[in-house]
Amino acid sequence: MHLAVTLLAVAFLAAPAAQASAAVEKKVLRMAFRTAEAGFDPQRIDDRYSVGVCENLFEPLLTYDYLARPVRLVPLVAEAIPEPQEGGTRYTLRIRPGILFADDPVFKGAKRELVAADVEYAIKRFRDPKNRSPYGWIFEHKLVGLDELADAAAKSGRFDYEAKIAGLEVRDRYIISFKLVEPDYNFLYLLAMPNVVPVAREVIEAYGADTHAHPVGTGPYVLKEWVRRSKIVLEKNPNHRGYEIDARWADPADEWDRRALDSLRGKRLPLIDRVEIYPIEDEQPRFLAFLNKEHDLLDETPFSFIHQVLPNGRLSPGLQALGVSAYREEQPEFTYDVFNMNDKVEGRENPVGGYTPERVALRRAMILGHDRDREIGVLRKGQAIPAQSPVPPGVVGYDPAFRASAQDYDPPRAKALLDTFGYVDRDGDGWREQPDGRPLMIEYKYNAGSQESRQLAELWSKSMADVGIRLEAVAVQFVDLLKDKKVGKFVVAGSAWIADYPDAQNFLQLLYGPNSGTSNEAHFRLDAYDRLYLRSASLPDGPERNAVYRELNRLLLAWAPWRLGVHRIFNHLQYPWVKGYKKHPILYTNFKYLDLDVAARAAASR
Amino acid sequence: MSAVLPKHIPVVREASPGLWALAWRRLRADRVGMVSLAVVVAFLAMMLASYAGLIAKDWNKERGVSYANPAFLAGAENLEAKEVTNKDFGTQAKPVDLSDIDPLAPRYKEWEERAAKIAVTEVKRAETLPFGGDKWGRDVLEKAIKGSEVSIFVGLTAALFATIIGTVLGALAGYWGGRVNDFLEWFYNIFTSIPYILLILAFAAVFKKGLDTIIVILALTGWTGIYRLVRAEYIKHCGREYVKAAQAIGASHFSRMFVHILPNASHVILVQLSQHVVQFIKAEVILSFLGLGVPVDMVSWGTMLAEAQNELVIGKWWQLVAAGASMAFLVTAFSMLTDSLRDALDPKLK
Amino acid sequence: MAAYVIRRLWQMIPTLAGVILLIFFLFNWVGGDPAQVLAGKISNPEQIANIRKQLGVDQPYWYQLWVFVQQVFTFDFGRSWSTNEEVSKILLTRVGPTLTIMVPVLVIETMLAVAFAIMVAYVRGSLTDRTIMVICTTAMSISFLVYIIFAQWLFGFKLGWFPVQGWSESFSRNLLTYAPLPVMLAIFVGLAPQLRLYRSFFLEEINQDYVRTARAKGLPEKQVMMKHVLRNALIPILTNIGIYLPGLFVGSFLLEVFFSIPGLGREIVTAVNRSDFPVIKAVTVYLAMLTMFINLLVDVMYKLVDPRVSFK
Repeated sequence: MHLAVTLLAVAFLAAPAAQASAAVEKKVLRMAFRTAEAGFDPQRIDDRYSVGVCENLFEPLLTYDYLARPVRLVPLVAEAIPEPQEGGTRYTLRIRPGILFADDPVFKGAKRELVAADVEYAIKRFRDPKNRSPYGWIFEHKLVGLDELADAAAKSGRFDYEAKIAGLEVRDRYIISFKLVEPDYNFLYLLAMPNVVPVAREVIEAYGADTHAHPVGTGPYVLKEWVRRSKIVLEKNPNHRGYEIDARWADPADEWDRRALDSLRGKRLPLIDRVEIYPIEDEQPRFLAFLNKEHDLLDETPFSFIHQVLPNGRLSPGLQALGVSAYREEQPEFTYDVFNMNDKVEGRENPVGGYTPERVALRRAMILGHDRDREIGVLRKGQAIPAQSPVPPGVVGYDPAFRASAQDYDPPRAKALLDTFGYVDRDGDGWREQPDGRPLMIEYKYNAGSQESRQLAELWSKSMADVGIRLEAVAVQFVDLLKDKKVGKFVVAGSAWIADYPDAQNFLQLLYGPNSGTSNEAHFRLDAYDRLYLRSASLPDGPERNAVYRELNRLLLAWAPWRLGVHRIFNHLQYPWVKGYKKHPILYTNFKYLDLDVAARAAASR
Repeated sequence: MSAVLPKHIPVVREASPGLWALAWRRLRADRVGMVSLAVVVAFLAMMLASYAGLIAKDWNKERGVSYANPAFLAGAENLEAKEVTNKDFGTQAKPVDLSDIDPLAPRYKEWEERAAKIAVTEVKRAETLPFGGDKWGRDVLEKAIKGSEVSIFVGLTAALFATIIGTVLGALAGYWGGRVNDFLEWFYNIFTSIPYILLILAFAAVFKKGLDTIIVILALTGWTGIYRLVRAEYIKHCGREYVKAAQAIGASHFSRMFVHILPNASHVILVQLSQHVVQFIKAEVILSFLGLGVPVDMVSWGTMLAEAQNELVIGKWWQLVAAGASMAFLVTAFSMLTDSLRDALDPKLK
Repeated sequence: MAAYVIRRLWQMIPTLAGVILLIFFLFNWVGGDPAQVLAGKISNPEQIANIRKQLGVDQPYWYQLWVFVQQVFTFDFGRSWSTNEEVSKILLTRVGPTLTIMVPVLVIETMLAVAFAIMVAYVRGSLTDRTIMVICTTAMSISFLVYIIFAQWLFGFKLGWFPVQGWSESFSRNLLTYAPLPVMLAIFVGLAPQLRLYRSFFLEEINQDYVRTARAKGLPEKQVMMKHVLRNALIPILTNIGIYLPGLFVGSFLLEVFFSIPGLGREIVTAVNRSDFPVIKAVTVYLAMLTMFINLLVDVMYKLVDPRVSFK
């Protein structure tokens, strides 16, 4: 009993002290991530959430303007956006002098300036086998000499960082020049990716295997505290030079832009002193934490609660009264189901694979029979638009006039197509057989750990039963699902892709034949498609390239290696004391552009 | 400790059939026990009826709108029923023509003709259902009935397997003693030195998903308690005169173990069995929460609860209540029946 | 005494070996390898092979087993496959929050359960006894998941008595602000079975000859209960707590997941979902060791409570 009393006394004594220190009016932003992070070594991660944190700790050469839509590249640590040289195979950038890394014991008290060699080092790290970089593929077959260096490292077990290669040329302290293997007009987008960021070699080497926990960059924030999968705390980097909001690309008619400019114009960014991020995977606690004002933002309102938040498409009166605003975002992503195009799966015949008219007909009929309307209406609660092509709105190469009726829910046409090609019920058991009379049974693999994934499987199973196709949904561990998709051990499985850079190419490469077994999970190989794809890759943005993209999309609809799902719409909520909010389609976080009215928050929580 | 065995009352030895008759008489006198038994039997009957397709056959039919209100809440606003499909998105544009590249193009005409003949039937969805609907508009009451099938099946089968494993191993260890006993004790120690829930999670992490896996995991992790008790019973009985008598008339080891001793230990086993059924029905919920097991075209109380996780916040409490209450009802009855059984079979405890 | 302890420690070796074999069998033989997850969005077979090599899963089984045994005894399980954090560090930082929840649960629950149990045992057979037993049975029958969902919604959100979820660095704040709701829930759920169990322990003792003797001697019933029955029932109660203790470290993963408590339970569930085998392996092996030591401790404590038990 005594112990309990003492504890109580300590707690009461401690409480006022804590309040007193809070009176310094630190601006602390609190929010949740819906998935746990992996770590913060920029070259060793690829999940949205870890990369999102890195956006604040590091700075790439280029970045996207906060307000401009469609998105617009702007220089960040580079002085200017370079023009492509040598037919789109050379890009040369100069780093602004005087940019400093955040302080770290490794620098032994000295200030460390960012130099071109740091960029060279970081890009080499992507191909060092030791780093198992999940984004290593973006620099595969890209820079002259880099593949050879990576191959040598795979053999010798040690990556030679000293070796000079023509693809990465450090011309002086600040100038770096990239030489590409072949023309690529999308290359600059890679330099704006939040994990293609310079790092200091001495820091990486000093922390060895612990680099995830010791991110040292030139970004506006530093990692103050990290309790893995539970808490991530960022605080302002005192070495940071500061930003200013750029009003040039803002849309004066857009209310969000206006509000952001009103609260940020002329101020030295960042304004938030401290950001606390809590990964919470379950929906109920994440949602309730926001409603209870324990968090200031709710990123991606779970679909389950959409009608609580936006009944009839408008913010609920209760939330309106609290001054909450909802940002509706059409993310540059799409969901899809992959058909395995191989003839065999694990040695057995694959009923959906192949390029014969019957197999094409089966896939097309399954697509027509899949009730996408209910997927959107019931599962996504109206917060999704049916995909007409893999290319989402807001991405360069998106064609609003492209409409795919081959992907619409139309059970009579599905049944008619099956009948036409001989998929009929011969033995009267209620299920259709294959044209040659053998039974038809389709296996759909989904992630056992996710309710959403289970519901999508449920919808598949119901929809197929309605048109007489027997589909068995098989739950597998997330890890195994990824693996099975890569190696082709599946018949049908769900997938999703979010833009790494805002160009249609990033989506259309998913069906490029030589990418089979890597990103081409369908193992789709069509000569016509591959030829067109290669052509599109060598063209700069323009009507000619758009025409090629259109052809690629038509081929995809005709041969149907995928069922196109949806482009999801996300609703992000903020309390009124969060100022300057706007969501960027490519960058995940926006802390550096936010402000917080601490007094308003204190008043509201009283 | 184990050396200090109490001298047992001779009733048990006298006549084993008498034990059961006596127990049944005691159970009949126990009102709570009889009511519980009735409830359990009713649930089992419901489960069998649903298995035979007599009731809740069409549980998977979507009769109502999404989250249809329960009949007693008819007229309450149901925001979830309004399905926004965004179907009109982009309809202004003309559908893209594929005919020049489409492998199906030669048979377009036939396809269109057939499609025209297939009538479109518009299903009318009910606004209310007796106890409300789920996300898809299925009747939650029917789901709960159908769910009992899987949940009870999992509970019973897993308990049965666990009991068989526990009994066989316990009998071997208790009867043979010596090396066999040492080996099985070693095995037992391994399993019990890992906390139960951790053991389940460890198995769950590596096994394939499916209904059979749930049963296997529960059986493989749940046999230890039964093993211990059965072993103790066998040690106790081995030295008894009736076993020695059986040996004298030339009964084989197997016959002595399972024909002579087993009936005398069966009351312990029965109580354990029913206790484990309860435990496993509850464990199924946890495994379903983790997404293991029950396939999407089946339903169990566990999957219902996992689905209902977010439904309370949006005011759709009926699925949580339907699944939670049916489970609570059955489990309560089962536990009380277990208590009564124990009292009836082992009156010394009372 | 010392000889007994040494002998028991010696006997632990085969069990530990068994645990190691079981874990090895599960994770290195039955379980697959997570190279694909680590490889990311786009990967090729060479990358996969490279990762497999780094994780050591391309080695022959006997070698992997040898590595595993070394890991157990050097307390070095390497790094988490998914976040690259040192496994030992993960374990150390996660135990605190779990114990912050579970120790109060254990203490309060045991006190309440013993107190209630002796009360109902005292009035055994009465209506009160039966009613309490029925309530207990019913309370036990409702799924923990239902309790959590409902209580979080009601107390955290509707009534706003507690925060919905959260955790801080300050121990007192955790204990007083964040822990109460989960602790209450855990006690509420755990109390009923404990109460039933302890009641049966008391009843067992009440029927013993020595109790009858004490009564026959004319001791008042209260004194009989407190002095004789309680004291003797302490042995099975202690055993039960001993069984319960290792589970304390796992905590309740459901509670930890729903209330965002950065404890071991939540860590294990995430590890299971991500197939982060080193974490699961380490937790399992060390908890097994802990369980064995606690069992030994409980047996030694028997001696102190009950002189009838001899160390053979």
